[in-house]
Amino acid sequence: MISERFKKIVCDELELNVEDVEMKDDTIASEVPGWDSLSHVNVITALEKDYNVRFKGIEILKCKNIGDLQKLVDSKLQ
Amino acid sequence: MFNLDMSKLAGLLSYDPGDPLLFGSSLFLFLFFALLVFYRLFANSKNARILLILFFSLYFYYKASGLFFLLLIFSALFNFYSGKILFNTTGITKRKILLIINVAINLGILGYFKYTNFFLEMISDFQLGTFEPLDILLPIGISFYTFKSMNYVLDIYLEAMEPTKSLRDFSVFVFFFPNILAGPIDRASQFLPQLENDVVLSKEDIGKALLLIMSGLVKKIIIADYLALNFIDRVFDSPLRFTGVENLFALYSYGLQIYCDFSGYSDIAIGIALLLGFKLMDNFNSPYQATSIADFWRRWHISLSTFLLDYLFRPLQMKFRNLKMYGNMIALIITFVLCGFWHGASWMFLFWGLLHGLYMAISLLLQKPKKKLYNRLKLTNTKLLKAGQVFITFHLLILSWVLFKVDNLQSGLDIFNQIFSFFKPAVIPQFIEGYTLTFIILVLGYFIHFLPKSLEVKTAKLLAETHPVLQGVILAVVIWLCAQVQSAELQPFIYFQF
Repeated sequence: MISERFKKIVCDELELNVEDVEMKDDTIASEVPGWDSLSHVNVITALEKDYNVRFKGIEILKCKNIGDLQKLVDSKLQ
Repeated sequence: MFNLDMSKLAGLLSYDPGDPLLFGSSLFLFLFFALLVFYRLFANSKNARILLILFFSLYFYYKASGLFFLLLIFSALFNFYSGKILFNTTGITKRKILLIINVAINLGILGYFKYTNFFLEMISDFQLGTFEPLDILLPIGISFYTFKSMNYVLDIYLEAMEPTKSLRDFSVFVFFFPNILAGPIDRASQFLPQLENDVVLSKEDIGKALLLIMSGLVKKIIIADYLALNFIDRVFDSPLRFTGVENLFALYSYGLQIYCDFSGYSDIAIGIALLLGFKLMDNFNSPYQATSIADFWRRWHISLSTFLLDYLFRPLQMKFRNLKMYGNMIALIITFVLCGFWHGASWMFLFWGLLHGLYMAISLLLQKPKKKLYNRLKLTNTKLLKAGQVFITFHLLILSWVLFKVDNLQSGLDIFNQIFSFFKPAVIPQFIEGYTLTFIILVLGYFIHFLPKSLEVKTAKLLAETHPVLQGVILAVVIWLCAQVQSAELQPFIYFQF
């Protein structure tokens, strides 16, 4: 389940309206407008900054979809 | 007499370094047809079918590379067992060490064959000594099958797939003849599950396969080889003998040649794989329709660009993420320099990669100002802007291809010198008159390239609905036409040297 906070961070970073974007667990990054291979790193650093967490490179590379990324954030917060 | 014929036949079928089984050669067409017949006969026996492909692929590689097929077998064995051991290993550090060993050995073998002389020459130049190159032959296709095997281990490391239990299945993936010499660098995660499927060829698949094979032959023989032999090579061999007009047309022609040569090969590879019931990944998507260099790399040699994106750029990008945009720029430049170096052990390929890295890095820097400017000029999402972007991107690419083609910077400078200081527009009519067929092929080639994708889909559909006899006739006519235009021996594909 993608949290509102997660969604807002991503949308703010990509300059999108939260209402216009649908994010489910199995949504992949390229399905979100503007989330491409170059902006990917900005989204990741925005998440790290807002949640005050630090991901390992390999943890990010293992994420196959947005649900995995949300789970990774959750695991860091526990 | 009979003995003589047998020895001729053995000679024809055995390894010949200058005569690999080129798609489009009559020997390949004959053997492939025989393979299809047996493949069909074994349709109900999965084991027989897979073994048939396995041995045909090994023979195909032996014909092109001789004893180097042993290296290919080593690559399959090594990566199969690496994948297995990696999967059964727990602990981040241990897994990382195993991966580093695997990558070091894979790239070490590739590096030995491909780059030893380059580095020895560099060291020798540095010491101002004389350089005697070592006698190292490059096994054909090694850059392609090394990356193909490596993505299996890398995906297991990234937990994106589980290893296959069957060494036979993994070997088919590595040896698979349609894409072993010049890609597409297929993903194990996409290929291996297909070995479980029954071979069911729909009418649409056959239509698509035939269209790909025919378009591949036309691209390679009628466009790429004709332009190269009759025009491009002459100008590039001695640019100073030609005016700026011919030099400029040679650059445009080379852009079309390299696309048709390489994508023609990919089309045939994907087409013949499809006839055997395998779907390989797409490798090209009208690359000159790209609106930016980044867009170009989503359309050109897709199997390599996604490989580099997933296994090199992304890890680098994460490593440098504290540097924000500059981290992205550094990751881009490193990735593209290595991409250039993958193509061959020469400074020109390195410069070519560096230029693409710089294109990408600079466009990243200009992203926000450009967006503002387009908004201010009310150009955002307009056709005019798109046309302008395609035009500029195309010319940036044409500029970069010079580095890909020439042996030294001086030759490249000579070409531009002729274009900028010896451009005689009055020569254009003479050029069209003297090189009429070249000009027609050039214009027609680009025209077809810019046609919408939907037309290709419609043509494949039409071909799928055509009676099989008529399909055979159309294929025969295309092959006959290619044979008529073929002015000399079938030229090796440019990408074989990589």
